[in-house]
Amino acid sequence: MTPDTDTVRVTGLTVAAPGGRLLIRDASLTLRPGHLVALTGPSGAGKTTLLRAIAGFLPPGTTRTAGQVNVLGHDVFTLPDRELRTLRATLLAYVAQDPGSALNPRMRVRTLIRELAADRTPGAVAALLAEVRLPDEGRLSLRRPGALSGGQQRRVALARALARRPRILLLDEPTAGLHPELRDEIAALLRRLAHDHRLAVAFSCHDPEVVSQYADETVELDRLLARTREQTATRTPLLEKAATRTGPGTPLLEETAARTCATPGTPLLDVRDLRVSFNRNTPALDGVGFHVAPGSAAGIVGASGSGKTTLVRAVVGLHPATSGTISLAGTVLSTHLTGRTREQRRRIQLVTQNPLGALNPSRTIGATIGRPMRLHRRRPPGDLRDRVSGLLEQVGLPPAFADRYPHELSGGQRQRVAIARALAADPDVLICDEITSALDATTGESIMNLLTRLRKQHGLALVLISHDLPLIADRTDTVTVLESGRTAETGPTADVFATPRHPATHALLATTPRTGP
Amino acid sequence: MTRKRPLAVEDHERRPVMSSARDRRVVCHRAGPLLRALPACLLVCLAIAGPWLAPHAVDAPVTAPFAEPGAGAPLGGDQLGRDVLSRLLAGGRELVLSALLIAAVVTATAALIGAVGALRPAVGRVVERAADVVILLPAVLGILLVGLSWPGGGRLAVVLAAIVLSLPYAVRLVSSAASLVAASGYVEAAAAGGERLRVLVVREVLPNLRATLLALFGLRFVEAVYVVSTAAFLQVGPQPPAADWALMIRENSPGILLNPWAVVAPSLVIGMLALSVNLASAALAPQSGRQAVTLR
Repeated sequence: MTPDTDTVRVTGLTVAAPGGRLLIRDASLTLRPGHLVALTGPSGAGKTTLLRAIAGFLPPGTTRTAGQVNVLGHDVFTLPDRELRTLRATLLAYVAQDPGSALNPRMRVRTLIRELAADRTPGAVAALLAEVRLPDEGRLSLRRPGALSGGQQRRVALARALARRPRILLLDEPTAGLHPELRDEIAALLRRLAHDHRLAVAFSCHDPEVVSQYADETVELDRLLARTREQTATRTPLLEKAATRTGPGTPLLEETAARTCATPGTPLLDVRDLRVSFNRNTPALDGVGFHVAPGSAAGIVGASGSGKTTLVRAVVGLHPATSGTISLAGTVLSTHLTGRTREQRRRIQLVTQNPLGALNPSRTIGATIGRPMRLHRRRPPGDLRDRVSGLLEQVGLPPAFADRYPHELSGGQRQRVAIARALAADPDVLICDEITSALDATTGESIMNLLTRLRKQHGLALVLISHDLPLIADRTDTVTVLESGRTAETGPTADVFATPRHPATHALLATTPRTGP
Repeated sequence: MTRKRPLAVEDHERRPVMSSARDRRVVCHRAGPLLRALPACLLVCLAIAGPWLAPHAVDAPVTAPFAEPGAGAPLGGDQLGRDVLSRLLAGGRELVLSALLIAAVVTATAALIGAVGALRPAVGRVVERAADVVILLPAVLGILLVGLSWPGGGRLAVVLAAIVLSLPYAVRLVSSAASLVAASGYVEAAAAGGERLRVLVVREVLPNLRATLLALFGLRFVEAVYVVSTAAFLQVGPQPPAADWALMIRENSPGILLNPWAVVAPSLVIGMLALSVNLASAALAPQSGRQAVTLR
């Protein structure tokens, strides 16, 4: 075993994709017990690849062309399979970016956590769930991953990783898709684990606030150079953090003022009194409604597990509602997908939370984006190629990506392809479920600008689900706050955020400085 | 009948060519699997071309009954002194083609029914219950029933019975594999985007089940060889004096000590055929990348 100072040492690691394209070039990284290292960089910079390399598990087809990865004194690339398995099972835990697809859908939460646990007693499972802030009062440990929200799945995956009491913890985007309060709790938990249990922790993160506040050290991966740049810890004090948070909001205030001049008009999409239940006893949604007018934007916020995703899935018809009405431009839509015409389906498009499973692995990006255009015949067939390139450029991807397959793209890049696919159908209503959580700040900002432009120029109605309250405050006209499947509060965004009336809204806003008036 | 190769295999064999322009490494990667698919191709071609290659007539004696291998008859003679090598070359075509046909029809039908069942749960429940009932009937018993109640049916009766009897297993397997794909984000996105059921099945679900379908084809081929040769052994289907591997094993087993080759040679080819087709279907299944994408 190595001296206690260096648990993981990556030196000069270069990884190439098939075809010679470099995924990481000359990356170096050191992890020490009790030390929290953050990996940052734009999407596609190689954060996931680097974390996977530490676990000795490069994406299929890629090859290591130079460099070494040394974990607890072993070179993971020369280690025999058996020892590598033991290492992964006992000393090292990796939590992927999309934990939902890594959790076996047939296993209950209890079994998932117990599978690799050092301590298999029911008490230990409950303690782990409590540690990741998933209280077991709702018999959560008996549910299967399909009945958990995105944020809950993420925390179950974290609990599963902690259960084996590893010495090294690798997390890919552990805070994406969590609301601010929870995000801070999880980040604080990581920090506590690192310090109390002497864990070496590395996590990739898009959120500059989490990085600056919690990481001991930041490693920045640069897309162009694909090279690491180490920075020493500079933890911003809380007061300063609040100042930077309000900073980006200010220029947008003018826009808010300009937008309120536009009359909301008649709602394009009107959802009333929607009820959805997974089983007979507990409704997932109970009498929820919202509406959005052409050219305006509606936000849906709420704690993790409050039914936001279920609501929008019911609106597009993926989850049949038991009662309630969904009307589009005055026409009542069937609550079942099969009862809707192709034109009705085209007019409402959903971009889902999970970027990894959203694209067909057997189709190229170009085929995926081109398909809605061909299906709905919105463009002459000759223009297809140009239009695909145009959409890719709009979401900030090079047109050459049209020939790639989804597995050759990073999580953030896939998310942008999913957005381009939704836009390719020329929708009247675009519903975005946490689309910016997998993107770095700059890309997220430019995507939101694109959507705002489409709203103004083409009268696109936008429905935004996000945990990022400043984003909701900046980009939406009205907001609906959900709390365990019911509407807690609804109204113009500025009013709701300025004078919250419901305890749930207070709870959401408590950790976020107020923006706007 | 030779054109009726399974769709999944053809589709896959085209792929390396399509991607080669983009990526030379992929081609190098694909050379191995093609090499492993070679034994099956050779064996199938040999079985199909066999009757033309046979040095002697299959129904005229050329040597003594159960003669040991010697000049003019490299594998000796059978019960009537006919050339074992000639009968071996001539006796595979029907068996191989029947087995390929059964495996292809079963795999293709199961793929369609299974994918539709996964996408439309109401259909899926009906299909699964129906499959459960048919599974209760043992295959050999079913074939005997068909053969006895339709004596003039010959090869066609055996093929039909084998298809009907092995379909339920295949449907159950495909529908459970397809249900995971049907729940994925891209299928939901396509459904919500207005795609018809046919497009969902052909474009979204089946391409991502290539590995499962190829494995299923290999297994169904082995099963079909087993069923067709069992039927032939029980004299349902081909009748003497036709040359047929399974029939040869039955006819020549009394003389196994005099000329073992008359029994061992046809047994060996049946075994090798089953092994090599499974090797080929495993080799052609996508190993990584596009297949593993949702599990990263």
